[in-house]
Amino acid sequence: MTYSDWLRADRLPHIYCAGCGNGTVINCTLNAVDRMGWKKEETVFVSGIGCSSRAPGYIVTDSLHTTHGRALAFATGIKMANPDLHVVVFTGDGDLAAIGGNHFIHSCRRNIDLTVVCMNNQIYGMTGGQGSPTTPRGALSTTTPYGSQEPAFDLCELATAAGANFVSRWTSYHVKELTRSIHQGLGVPGFSFIEALVQCPTNYGRRNKFRQVMDQVEYFKTHGILVQKAHRLRDEGLPIPPDAILLGDMVMRDRPAMGVKR
Amino acid sequence: MRLVIDERRCKGCNLCTLVCPYRIFSAGKQPNARGIVVPVLDRPERCANCRLQALYGRTLCGMCQMICPDQAISWVEEKPGEAQKVAIEF
Ligand SMILES: Cc1ncc(C[n+]2csc(CCOP(=O)(O)OP(=O)(O)O)c2C)c(N)n1
Ligand code: SF4
Ligand SMILES: [Mg+2]
Repeated sequence: MTYSDWLRADRLPHIYCAGCGNGTVINCTLNAVDRMGWKKEETVFVSGIGCSSRAPGYIVTDSLHTTHGRALAFATGIKMANPDLHVVVFTGDGDLAAIGGNHFIHSCRRNIDLTVVCMNNQIYGMTGGQGSPTTPRGALSTTTPYGSQEPAFDLCELATAAGANFVSRWTSYHVKELTRSIHQGLGVPGFSFIEALVQCPTNYGRRNKFRQVMDQVEYFKTHGILVQKAHRLRDEGLPIPPDAILLGDMVMRDRPAMGVKR
Repeated sequence: MRLVIDERRCKGCNLCTLVCPYRIFSAGKQPNARGIVVPVLDRPERCANCRLQALYGRTLCGMCQMICPDQAISWVEEKPGEAQKVAIEF
């Protein structure tokens, strides 16, 4: 089997804009799920609302497209009702960290055996480009026309502080690494959080000097540094570039988890 | 094996042109019937998968397929007896 066997070919092409990074993350996730050798009947994809959250609609397994921000609440319900199911959550930055922020930290705290893939495009894509909790300082959006003045959330640090068992960050450029980390996260008992930075050419890139789809992907490529390297620089007292994107597996631990397969 | 772009799915974002180590993909010029400028392939028989996928029994490299947000890139088996192009690079 390959990842394409998990796709609903009759539903493609999907509604994402040309060059939207969400499609790449779907590929990586399905590749990782395929490598796990799971049965389609035992796998469930759950999502909230947003462009990113439309992903389960393109996958052949059972899925749940829930209300905005509540993907984790519904996923928790599925997992507690039937721990034998493999539950994977697709979510967006707005869905997870804004309206769903409390569900996020409490799912991490409870350490429920879910794998959460957050497609972070640093914007509310679906509703036309409003600023989200992860919109970087200075970035333009329809609600921050003079540049965002608020500090952004670091979702990985949030998940780490709240207690997730596995935390990792990659981008839509790092497809092999992202696939490997999702695969690792799927195998970890407890809450696995994988953040994938993605380009939203329509609502983020266009307003923030990424004229072409490729410009933002190039940015991910040139600005990403491994966490290990960042830690080394810090230990040596050297400066970490302020616009660096820290990539890699941040946390791998074994806190007590809930809803693990019996 | 033959590298193909599914014109019904491709939206012309050109991300494949960024990742292929052989630079097989380049931005197209002519819009197709759907009005989309699909990338053009330069001697796709150089692709590692076209040459070696059958031998190794698994997908090699595959960067273009993985990054393609529209699931438009795949490798198809040649029909029996179909003429095959071979490229050797030194
Ligand atoms: C309760 C509720 N509030 C607000 C909305 C409007 N809404 C739909 S999608 C969205 C933001 C989605 O942003 P994100 O989760 O980042 O997804 P993206 O589209 O960027 O992938 C909002 C605010 C809604 N559907 N439901
Ligand atoms: S609006 Fe942005 S996130 Fe939504 S499909 Fe278009 S590019 Fe993707
Ligand atoms: Mg978003």
